[in-house]
Amino acid sequence: MFGYYLDLALRSLRRHKVLSALMMLAIGLGIGASVTMLAVLHNLSGNPLPGRSNVLFHPQVDPRPADLPGAKEEPPDDLTYLDAVNLYRLGVAPRGAVMSANWLPVRKDAPDSPLAMYTDRATTADFFAMFGVPFLYGSAWSAQDDANHAQVVVLSQAMNQKLFGGADSVGKTLVIATKTFRVAGVVADWNPQPHFYDLNSGAFGKAEQMYLPFFTWLDLPQDYGYGPMNCWGNDPNAGTHDPKAKQCTWAQFWVQLDTPAQVADYRAALVQYSRQQHQLGRFQREPDVRLRNLLDWLDYKHVIPVTVRMQTWIAFGVLLICLVNTVGLMVAKFLRKSGEIGVRRALGASRRDVFAQCLMEAGVVGVAGGVLGLPLAWLGLWMVRQQPVSFAASAHFDPSMLGTALSLSVLSALGAGLWPAWRASRVAPALQVKSL
Amino acid sequence: MRILLQVRPILAALRSHKTAVILLMLEIALTMAVLGNLVFIVYGNIQRSRVPTGAAESEIGLIQSIGVIGQDNPGTLAGDLAALRGTPGVATASYGGPPLWYASPSPVFLDPDRSHAVTQAYEFEGSQGLSETLGVRIVEGRNFSSEELPDASQWGQIKEQPVLITRALASKLFPDGHVLGKTFYDGNTAQRVVGIIDHLRGELTGRLTDDYSMVIEYRVGPQDMGGGFMIRARDPAQLPQVLRAAAAALQKANPGHVQSKLLTMAELRANYFKSDLAAGRMLVAIMLILLVVTALGVSGLASFWVQQRRRQIGMRRALGATRGDILRYFQAENFLIVSGGVLLGAAFAYALNLFLMHRFELAHLPAHFLLAGALALWLLGQLAVLGPALRAAAVPPVVATRSV
Repeated sequence: MFGYYLDLALRSLRRHKVLSALMMLAIGLGIGASVTMLAVLHNLSGNPLPGRSNVLFHPQVDPRPADLPGAKEEPPDDLTYLDAVNLYRLGVAPRGAVMSANWLPVRKDAPDSPLAMYTDRATTADFFAMFGVPFLYGSAWSAQDDANHAQVVVLSQAMNQKLFGGADSVGKTLVIATKTFRVAGVVADWNPQPHFYDLNSGAFGKAEQMYLPFFTWLDLPQDYGYGPMNCWGNDPNAGTHDPKAKQCTWAQFWVQLDTPAQVADYRAALVQYSRQQHQLGRFQREPDVRLRNLLDWLDYKHVIPVTVRMQTWIAFGVLLICLVNTVGLMVAKFLRKSGEIGVRRALGASRRDVFAQCLMEAGVVGVAGGVLGLPLAWLGLWMVRQQPVSFAASAHFDPSMLGTALSLSVLSALGAGLWPAWRASRVAPALQVKSL
Repeated sequence: MRILLQVRPILAALRSHKTAVILLMLEIALTMAVLGNLVFIVYGNIQRSRVPTGAAESEIGLIQSIGVIGQDNPGTLAGDLAALRGTPGVATASYGGPPLWYASPSPVFLDPDRSHAVTQAYEFEGSQGLSETLGVRIVEGRNFSSEELPDASQWGQIKEQPVLITRALASKLFPDGHVLGKTFYDGNTAQRVVGIIDHLRGELTGRLTDDYSMVIEYRVGPQDMGGGFMIRARDPAQLPQVLRAAAAALQKANPGHVQSKLLTMAELRANYFKSDLAAGRMLVAIMLILLVVTALGVSGLASFWVQQRRRQIGMRRALGATRGDILRYFQAENFLIVSGGVLLGAAFAYALNLFLMHRFELAHLPAHFLLAGALALWLLGQLAVLGPALRAAAVPPVVATRSV
């Protein structure tokens, strides 16, 4: 039956080549546009650390004054210096890393070598193990190094390439913000997208060029900002030259919690900490903590850029218009076949049969539209990649989109064919046969 | 007149294709709704990218020169500025950044307790001569005099300092119009208004608040500070060369600095609008797809009808209709259908605009965009129908005498 209907559909489509081509082209264009945006959306909302995301958590506490007009309900995203250090030393989680970012002047440890600014992430030892950062040479620094304020640095592959020509630089020295640092390791290409652990400067984009121990970094003679700061009170610039200002949040903190029991314990520890700070008079508000895991955190932060969401809406609008167009063409086409349908009905085909035959034709149009839409989507993604936007690199073609494109195309073509097919199945046989 | 006489029979004929006609109108309406809003968005972006900041953009170049703290360095701001001003081709130079560069507004207050922020304003802070380097135009009051400027070494202890504010900020802070000599407060000090400038936009978001700006100058000299240095070239055409020469002079005068960026104001503006314009190009691509699809739909259906009506056309020809009559018949039919679609489309466009306003902060769609959309669709419809209509006109009268 299926084979026969397919044959009928192909014959019918061949008979009106131009019209069939127009339908396929319309569906193909609509699918191309919407699959392009779906692919971008899919890649942007992907999991930056599959396999690890479910054990990584982002604790938040609320150190703000009780009365803060216009403030959000949710506790601040980042921590104050004091809370960051306290939580880092809390020791309830198996692993935890405090961090922030800025840029620092760096030069090779040789006389007269030129200075250049490099972006850095200041963090603590667990960062590398917790996030599964791969190493090309050497290794991370140790917790002991953190405690000793050791002057060690982990370089990105790109920075190692620039300064040491890509050679194994472990043990070599660099001058960072006038202090001498020893290279402990070189990180292989690592840049999770979205940049989940610090969304303050955008969720997508380049990785930092080097990693420094957090407490060493704070000691450095430097004032290049300590990452984007949020301060409450009268003076929004309170933390400009003082990262330890008590009303400014700027440090990120992440913990690894392997079991639900650990999560529950940690949440309790956060509440306990907040209560204790409240009793000390530091926190004015009742304990209000958050402990989101990585994916919930990304959800909460709405990392998908507005332009992408808007363009996705528009792309589906285009698909809708293409479908309306297809419905119109199909109605015309099926009604044109009224004579043929009449004969078939007179010869014993039921309405169901006619309906199924017409729908099969719509399905074939859908498959063809999908096949046509795939290269268009590929072209669309290429166009997105050419854009000077931070998420351009995320616009690559995912094999899973292949299935999505085809099924979306067939489904929309079938949807578009439903009503025309139903109408065609209502054709009165007698009337049509008479007019032949 | 002849066309008008044809309207009745056209409408009668269309009634027998109700479904297809309604679908075509719906398609045109949807196209118009999406197209109208997209053109509006793209047009808005282009307009926004042409708004002047109020600074002498064609003459301004920026050197981001970062001081390395903790390094022995003989350089001072006085030396830096002398080196910049001494570069041939430089009209004036100062310490401080231009608009569109790390601009973020901070709250301003009318009461010294700073309990209630009136609004947010962009602060342009820098050395003596900043207002001159920016090239702002003072429309009321006066520029700073060098005696009244606070010394940068007093930073943090200054109680009150003179300020220039834009007219927009002035009317926001002091709606009664008496502005000169009044004080307001930012996060640090009391600001006494000495002059009003016409425009100085910190960012170009399209909001009224873009133009809420103030210029603050400090007397600088023996300190060494890093950050943005601006030069203003005598000849805009020479700006790139002058900027490079100035940067070299600055590096020589202050070897303890890292120069991380050299930008002309034109480059700064191009960077600022880069992603908006790129998104605009994507939208234009989508618009083209839409137009193509709609044209395909119109001409597909039209050629289908022509084929279906070959006999009737033949009969009309046999009864005395000219080729021109047949051509005009199909053109008039298309015009009627598109007109129906456009009317519906105007309503859809407003609905879509309301949705976009609600979700994406889009402005209200002005009516002339709808008119332009309608014109475009009429034109598109006529173009799309031309081929099938010509084919219809070419049907010979003899067809009427043949059976199908």
